[in-house]
Amino acid sequence: MEEKTRTSYTEYKPEEISEFKIKDEKYSVIGKSVPKMDGRVKVTGQAKYTGDLKFPNMLVGKILHSPYAHAKILSIDTSAAEKLPGVKAVITHKDVPSLKYGISPARWDENIFCIDKVRYVGDKVAAVAAIDEDTVYKALKLIKVEYEELPAVFDPIEAMKEGAPQVHDEYPGNINTEIHQNFGDVEQAFKDAYYVRTDRFVGNRTYHAPIEPHSAISIWEDGKLTVYCSTQSPHYFQYYIAREFGMKMGDVRVLKTFVGGGFGGKLEPTALEFAGAVLARMTGRPVKMFYDRAEMFTHNRGRHKVVMEITTGVDKNGKILGVHANFVQDGGAYTSLGIATAYYAGAMLTLTYDFVNYKFDMTRVYTNLPACGAQRGHGAPQPRYAFECHLDHVAEHLGIDPIELRLRNARRPNTITPNEFGVQSCEMKACLEKAREISGWQDKKGKLPKGRGIGIATGSFVTGAGYPIYRTDLPHASAMIKVHEDGTAATLYTGATDIGQGSDTILCQMAAEAMGFTYDNMKIVTADTETTPHDFGAYASRQTLMSGSAVKQAGEEVKAQVLEMASVLMEVDVDNLDCRDAVVYCKSNPEIRKTFGEVARTFFVKRGPLVGRGVYAPPKLGGKFKGAPVGTSPAYSFAAQISEVEIDEETGEINVKEVWDVHDCGMVINPALLHAQVHGALYMGMGETVWEEVVFDNKGKLLNGNLGEYRMPTSLDMPKIVSELVESSEPAGPWGVKEVGEGATIPTMGCFSNAIYDAMGVRVSSLPLSYEKVWRALKEKREKEGIQK
Amino acid sequence: MYLPDFEYYAPTSLWEACGLLAQFGPRVKVIAGGTDVLPKMKQDILAPEVLVSLKNLSQLTDIFYKKGKGMVIGARATHNNLVNSPALQEKYLSICEAAHHMANNQIRNTGTVGGNIVNAVPSADLPPILIALGAVVKLFGTDGERTVLLEEFFTGPGKTVLKQNEILTEIVIPDQSFTGSTYIKFGLRRSGALAVVGVAVAVSMQGDICKEARIVLGAVAPVPMRAKKAEELLKGKAVTQELLEEIGVCAAGESKPISDIRGSAEYRKDMVRVFTKRALSKAIKEGHC
Ligand SMILES: Cc1cc2nc3c(=O)[nH]c(=O)nc-3n(C[C@H](O)[C@H](O)[C@H](O)COP(=O)(O)OP(=O)(O)OC[C@H]3O[C@@H](n4cnc5c(N)ncnc54)[C@H](O)[C@@H]3O)c2cc1C
Repeated sequence: MEEKTRTSYTEYKPEEISEFKIKDEKYSVIGKSVPKMDGRVKVTGQAKYTGDLKFPNMLVGKILHSPYAHAKILSIDTSAAEKLPGVKAVITHKDVPSLKYGISPARWDENIFCIDKVRYVGDKVAAVAAIDEDTVYKALKLIKVEYEELPAVFDPIEAMKEGAPQVHDEYPGNINTEIHQNFGDVEQAFKDAYYVRTDRFVGNRTYHAPIEPHSAISIWEDGKLTVYCSTQSPHYFQYYIAREFGMKMGDVRVLKTFVGGGFGGKLEPTALEFAGAVLARMTGRPVKMFYDRAEMFTHNRGRHKVVMEITTGVDKNGKILGVHANFVQDGGAYTSLGIATAYYAGAMLTLTYDFVNYKFDMTRVYTNLPACGAQRGHGAPQPRYAFECHLDHVAEHLGIDPIELRLRNARRPNTITPNEFGVQSCEMKACLEKAREISGWQDKKGKLPKGRGIGIATGSFVTGAGYPIYRTDLPHASAMIKVHEDGTAATLYTGATDIGQGSDTILCQMAAEAMGFTYDNMKIVTADTETTPHDFGAYASRQTLMSGSAVKQAGEEVKAQVLEMASVLMEVDVDNLDCRDAVVYCKSNPEIRKTFGEVARTFFVKRGPLVGRGVYAPPKLGGKFKGAPVGTSPAYSFAAQISEVEIDEETGEINVKEVWDVHDCGMVINPALLHAQVHGALYMGMGETVWEEVVFDNKGKLLNGNLGEYRMPTSLDMPKIVSELVESSEPAGPWGVKEVGEGATIPTMGCFSNAIYDAMGVRVSSLPLSYEKVWRALKEKREKEGIQK
Repeated sequence: MYLPDFEYYAPTSLWEACGLLAQFGPRVKVIAGGTDVLPKMKQDILAPEVLVSLKNLSQLTDIFYKKGKGMVIGARATHNNLVNSPALQEKYLSICEAAHHMANNQIRNTGTVGGNIVNAVPSADLPPILIALGAVVKLFGTDGERTVLLEEFFTGPGKTVLKQNEILTEIVIPDQSFTGSTYIKFGLRRSGALAVVGVAVAVSMQGDICKEARIVLGAVAPVPMRAKKAEELLKGKAVTQELLEEIGVCAAGESKPISDIRGSAEYRKDMVRVFTKRALSKAIKEGHC
C-alpha cells in the first residue's frame, strides 16, 4: 500500500502523535496561501447574500426617487398607492425622524426622505412596502408628487460662482468643506527653487460598481431592531441607525451576510436601512429593501470629480523643495463620507517623497448630482495621479529619468512627513529599484517603437485610520476565540468584516498561528454586532493590522492557558512548553507531547470555557492642526507601479501590454490573497484611467447607470500583471504586517497616464484617458506639427 | 427594473404565430432571444401586453447551404449558432467573426440574428456584413410570404418594412463572386461594447485590381448605409495604400453620424475613414468571404 503523507495532526491517533513532524519553518500557518475560508460555499452557490434571504411574512420595500435634479416638493399624494391591494405601508418624510445624518456633526445634511426639496435626480422622496416586488413597483408609480423645478448646478466651479443655485441654504456659496493647511514655508521654497512648475489635471467621477447590489432586511421584535445587510461596517450602521431612531445601540443588531464587494460604497447606511426599519416597524413584518443596478449608480457615493492644480519647486538635481496642491472637489448633493475624502486628497500626497514645505488648499463643493464619498484609496488616487504626471513633466524639463527623480526624493524609513505622519517601515526606494529592474525599464524608456510607452508612479496608503470613523473612545478592534469543548476546533469571533477581500481567511490564519493551532480546524463568526466583539469594519485598509492585532492577542491568550494546563498535566515547567500545529510539546525534548485537543478538553472539564480575548487601539498619532487626524495611521504601505502601453495612433485605442507592481506591505499573511488584491486594485485603477466615467445629461440625469455603458474593463481587456514584493517588516503590525487593499489602486492612474504620455508625446490632462480624447490630442499634435513645418 | 405583466404565447407553427400577431395587433410583440425586448420592458421603454415567443419554431434555427438558393440562416439562430456553424465557417467566415465580436458570451447564447435585424438599431453588428454580402430576408405573414433585400429592409432607427403581422423567418445569402469580405467593429472595450463604428466590406479582386466592392457602414447613419461613392472610387482600380486612404476619406464624407455617449460625430467620421481602409486591406489580404 502506498504511504500517504499526513500533514495535519488530526490525521494521527492520540497514541501516534509522537510520529507527527513539527514544522521547522518560522511560522506554521501564516505566510502561506491557504485556501479561502469561503471559497467553496461561494463557488457552489451555497453562500447566501442578503438578497437571497427569506423570512416568513417578509414584505418587499422600495424607494421612490426624484426625477428632478433640483425641485421644491409642493405635495405628495400617497392615497392611490395605499389603496392598491397588497400594499402594506407607504411612507414619506412625515413618517420618519427628521434628524439629519452624515459623517460628522458639522456636516449632517441628509434626511431619510427629502422634506422641502429634492437635490439630485434620485433623491429619496417616499417608500413603499408590499407583499411582492410586482406590487411595490406598481405602487411606486401611483405616488403623486408635485414638484416645482428649480435651477440646478452640475459643475463645482460654476457652483462656487455668485448667483449659482444654492443646493443647501445652510452652506452659502455651495461650500461644503474648505481646507487650508500650510506646513513649512512653500513660498520661500519656490523662491529658492531652480525650477517651479504648475500643472492642472481633472479627475473623473467614477463608481465602485460592486457585483452585489445593496440590500437590507429589517425585522422588529419586541422593540428590538435587527438588520441583515450588505455592509462594510456593521458597527457604523448600528451606530447611525440607533442615533437616527433615538435607540440604545444594544437594541439594534446589525448582521452582515456574505457581501459581494464594497470598495467604500457600503460603508455608510443608506435609505434602505433607514426606510426599511420604519416600514418594518409600521407593518410588524420583516421588510427587504434593495437597489437595482441603476439605483446603485444614483445612490453613488463613489469617487469625486476633482479639479487639481499642483505646483512644485525643485533644485537643479530634482530634489523637491516645496509642493502646493490646490484642489476643488465636486461633492454632489450631500456630504456622505466626503469630508474625509477632501482631507485625504491632500494628506496622502506627502507620503512617498520626502519634502518639508507643503501647502494644501481644498474646496469641496455641493452640486445637484449624486453625492460622492469613499472609493478604494479614499481621495488619494486622483491627487496622486496629478502629482505623478506633474513630476514626470518636472523630470522631463530637468532631463532626469523619471525613476531617478523619484529615487532622489524617495521617503526613507523612520521619517516624519510635513503633515506629521510618522513613518516606520518604508521600502519606497527598494520598490522603485525592483520595479525598474523587473520591467526592463532601462532598455525601454525612450527606446520603444512609435506608439509604445512606459510609465511609472508611486503610491502609499494608510494601514487603518489613526482615529475612528466617528468620535468615540472605543478601541478600533477586538476579538474573542472560543475553543470547542472537545478541543477539536476553535471559533474566532470578531466584528471584522469580510466583503470578499479575504479577511476571514487571514484572521483565522493569524488566530491559528498565535494559538499554535491549525487553520483547517478554525471556524469564524464575524460582523454581527450582537455576537461578535466590536470592530470598526472594512475600510481604510485596516483589518490585517488592526483586527489582526486583536486576533493575535486573543490567540496568545488561548495559547497561554493551554500551556499552563499542559504544564499541570505533563508535569513540565510552563516555560519549557510550546504549542505548534495543535501539538503541545516540551521544548527541551519535543518527544514529550500531547495534542492541543486533549489539553483543551481537559481545560474545559476542569475549568470551564477556554476563551481568549484581544483588543487593539492605535497609539495617539499625528499633529494638532485642523484636520491633523486624517491620514494618520500606525503604518503605511508603499508601492511602485510601471505599465507599458501601446496606442493605436489613428483611433486612440489603448492596449495595455504589461504592468509591474512592487509592494512594500510588510509581512504577508497569505500571498495568494495579497496578489489577488493587487490584481483587483489594478483592474479598478485601469478602468478608472481609461474607460470608466459616470456621465449625466444637462438636466443631471444619469446617462450610463448600467454595466453596458459604464465600461469597466472585462477579462479580455486585462494585461499581464507581475506582482512582486520587497522584504519589509512593520514594527506597528502583528508579525510585521501592513495593508495592500487600497494602496495598490493609488499609483495606477498616474502610471498609466505617464505610459500613455510617453507613447503619445502629448499629455491628456483629464481622466478618463478615453480613446476619443487620445485621438483628439494626437490629431491636434499632428496639426500643430504640420503648421510648424 | 421589474418586468410588467404580459400574456405569453409560444406557438408551434408559423401560421399560428402570425395569426396571434394579427389578432392582437399593436398590443403584441414578437420575442426571440429577448435580449432586447426584456430590458426595454424592464426600463418602461416598451410595454407590450402580449409576447409571442418563437422558441417552439425550431426550424427557424437551421443554418445550411442549398445549391441554387444560397446560404440559409434561420432567423432564430443565436449569435453563437452563427459562430459555431460549420457551413458558415466554410463559406462565410466573416459572418462567424462578426457574430463572435458581439456582446458577451451569455448574450451570444441567447440573442438571435432575427432580433438583431428587426431591432433596427443603427449600431447592430450583423446587418452591415449581411448587406455587404447581398443578403435577402424572408418575411412570412398572414398575407403570405415575401422577400426583401436586407439593404432595403431598414427605414429608420427602430423602423423597418416589416408589417405588424409578419415574422422574419430566414436570411438568404446568394452565391456570389466576391473574393473577400470582412466586418470590423470598433467598440470602446474588447467585450460587451456596442459599436462606435462598424464597417463591412466585400471585394472581388482580380490580381491587384478590384473589380467590384461593397462598403457598408454601421452606427454612422439612421440605418446601415452603403458608401456608394467610395465603392465607385475603388472599382476597376489597382489597390494601393494611397487609394485605400482616399477611399476611407470618401466613405467618411458619405457617413452621417450623430454625437452620443459613445462618441462625437467628428470622431465617428474619422473612424469610418480608418476602418474602411483597414477593412478593405484585411478583406483583400485574407481573401475569404
Ligand atoms: C448586454 C448586451 C450586449 C449587447 N451587445 C450587442 C452587440 O455587441 N452588438 C449588437 O448588435 N447587439 C447587441 N445587443 C443587442 C441585442 O442583444 C441583439 O440585437 C440581439 O441580436 C437581439 O436578438 P434577440 O433575439 O434577443 O431579440 P429580441 O429581444 O427577442 O427581439 C428584438 C426585436 O426584434 C423583434 N423580433 C425578434 N425576432 C423576430 C422575428 N424573427 N421576426 C420578427 N420580429 C422579431 C422583437 O419583436 C423585438 O422588437 C446587446 C444586448 C445586451 C443586453
